[in-house]
Amino acid sequence: MENEKYKILLVDDDEELCALLSEFLQTDGFVVETLSSGDAAVSRLLESDEFDTVVLDIMMPGMSGLDVLRNVRAKKQTPILMLTGRGDDIDRILGLEMGADDYLAKPCNPRELAARIRAIIRRTQNANAPTQAMVHAELHGIVLDSGSRSALVNNTTLPLTGAEFNALSLLMARVGQTISKQEMTEEVLNRPLEAYDRAMDVHVSRIRQKLAAAGINDVIKSVRGVGYQMLTPSPR
Amino acid sequence: MKRSELWQTLKHTFGFKRLFWRIFLTFWLASLLVMAATGYVLVSKYSSDEYNQRYFNDVLSQAERIVWRYEQDLSNGNVPKGKIKEWIGRNVKKRSDLIPMQIVDNTGRTIYHFRMNKVKPRDRTERLVYGLSALPYRVEIRLPEAPRIFKQVLYRFQSLQFVFIFIASALVSALLSWGIVRPINYLGAFSRRYANQQQVAAPPKAMLARGDELGDLAADISFMINKTHQAASNQQQLLHDVSHELRAPLARLQASAAIIEQHNPESRHVKQIHSDCERMSALIQQILNYSKLEKVNPVVEMCNVNRLCERVADDMAVHYPSIPIEFNGYPNAEISGYPEALHQALENIIGNACKYSPRGEPVELSTQKQGNTVIISVRDHGPGVKEDEMEKLLQPFYRAGNQMHTSGFGLGLSIAKKAIEKHGGTLRMHSPTDGGLLVEMVLPIHQQK
Repeated sequence: MENEKYKILLVDDDEELCALLSEFLQTDGFVVETLSSGDAAVSRLLESDEFDTVVLDIMMPGMSGLDVLRNVRAKKQTPILMLTGRGDDIDRILGLEMGADDYLAKPCNPRELAARIRAIIRRTQNANAPTQAMVHAELHGIVLDSGSRSALVNNTTLPLTGAEFNALSLLMARVGQTISKQEMTEEVLNRPLEAYDRAMDVHVSRIRQKLAAAGINDVIKSVRGVGYQMLTPSPR
Repeated sequence: MKRSELWQTLKHTFGFKRLFWRIFLTFWLASLLVMAATGYVLVSKYSSDEYNQRYFNDVLSQAERIVWRYEQDLSNGNVPKGKIKEWIGRNVKKRSDLIPMQIVDNTGRTIYHFRMNKVKPRDRTERLVYGLSALPYRVEIRLPEAPRIFKQVLYRFQSLQFVFIFIASALVSALLSWGIVRPINYLGAFSRRYANQQQVAAPPKAMLARGDELGDLAADISFMINKTHQAASNQQQLLHDVSHELRAPLARLQASAAIIEQHNPESRHVKQIHSDCERMSALIQQILNYSKLEKVNPVVEMCNVNRLCERVADDMAVHYPSIPIEFNGYPNAEISGYPEALHQALENIIGNACKYSPRGEPVELSTQKQGNTVIISVRDHGPGVKEDEMEKLLQPFYRAGNQMHTSGFGLGLSIAKKAIEKHGGTLRMHSPTDGGLLVEMVLPIHQQK
């Protein structure tokens, strides 16, 4: 990690906080650029692929973090970490959400922020690493290609984010088993599960929505109080 | 007890309350009394005039006959004193028709006397009667007595008329009473609606356009509700803004502390700053939650109570890994309510249970249906709470045993209570005999409109 400096874009309307966080993250070894408005963030992100992770505050005057996410996600897969207000109606926000890679409640300890950013970067770097074995899996008509990190349904590519792909491949690899939220968070997001942590639920619900849009329903079951399970296909 | 039951039945059957009956009865009684008094006056005046007229007519005709007889006797030459009485006695139908009187001729001689001895001078009156001889005779009689009034009244008000008046006055009174009570009831419902649902609606124009005292009252209530609402929402807004504004500097403080920590990783003081920042952040969160509960909640949603319980239990499992939560859900425990508020209540109560539970002791969480309520019970095996402290626990910033715990602000239970009350439910606490604390949230399944 030391030989390459990762570049972070920090978007928050509180400029003083941006300055402090960027000082912290720079000391921690990141290259940080800050922007204080949603519009600026969208145009910057659409013109450039140089950022390894974007930290995006949801509550911003004018164009909100969710709007930025929607605009960027339509064209780019840059990893995005959302800063949500603590105690905001998180489920409602996440229901509207368009596929961020992780979430962090604000105010937070900057060390936690740095750890989350590292987790995201590690995940995307691993995914891009060519050493990863090519795995083809097929289940319920979903074809996973871990080489291109894409999922195909009826030869149509499902638009999955990195975290969603990881979650889906984990579920498919262990079909018929219930995987706890804790384990999934660690495997998929490279970080421990926290209290009030809905990130995994959001990712799974996004996968379900995308599968349903492709005509595949009810293949991922929620196991109450534990986690999720990919159902074994019933023999025809 | 019986009376109040009867009263309740009446209230429900007629949909009217005390005031209605009070006004109704007062008006009715008053109108009946007025009518009776009028009747009395009319009847007494009318009948006494008539009675007097008849009395004097009778007196005069009797006296004229006596005088005629006397003059005849006189012209015949003999004046038999007792004969006239005897004669007149024969000439009337019954003896009681004889009117007491004394007739005196112009020389002062009494020519006829019947039962006037005992009549006092002030009860006497006199008339003049002329005989055929054109001589005047003075007739002394007693004043007419008052007629027997009630007999007369009853005689005059024939029963059917009376019933008609009775019903008509009842109808008029009921209308009057209803006209007063109905707008009052309406205003009551109007303010209740505000209190329960914080709906600010103007009272209907018809009410305001009345122009009477009730119209003024409606305008005043409407004014008051608007003022109250404004004050309440200003306060909410203020609380909300202040909390939000506190968060920004807090985030900067945390960031600054983290930067200092980078240069000086072993600093105890920075760790202190971090832990206090966490604590303040949590407090701000609680205050925001508390103020949010006061806010208008326009939509009632279906809440799957079991799912909420599981979700909170999941969070607690991460927070308190050493406390197992045993969940026992009644199937389809659903209520209509406010999921977010309910979630907060559950989080605070289950969180408390976990916090005070000894390591490894389970927290028992269950839902059940009882009548039209769903009851969520949370039972821990911790130190429990003394009976006299239970009430106080529900006050903001109160902590059991006056202990200052490193986490918590004494807001959790007040938030829970508020959230439950928002649903029209109740929060109960019990001390089970075998220790620990049992908290029950009783929630109505359907929200009252």
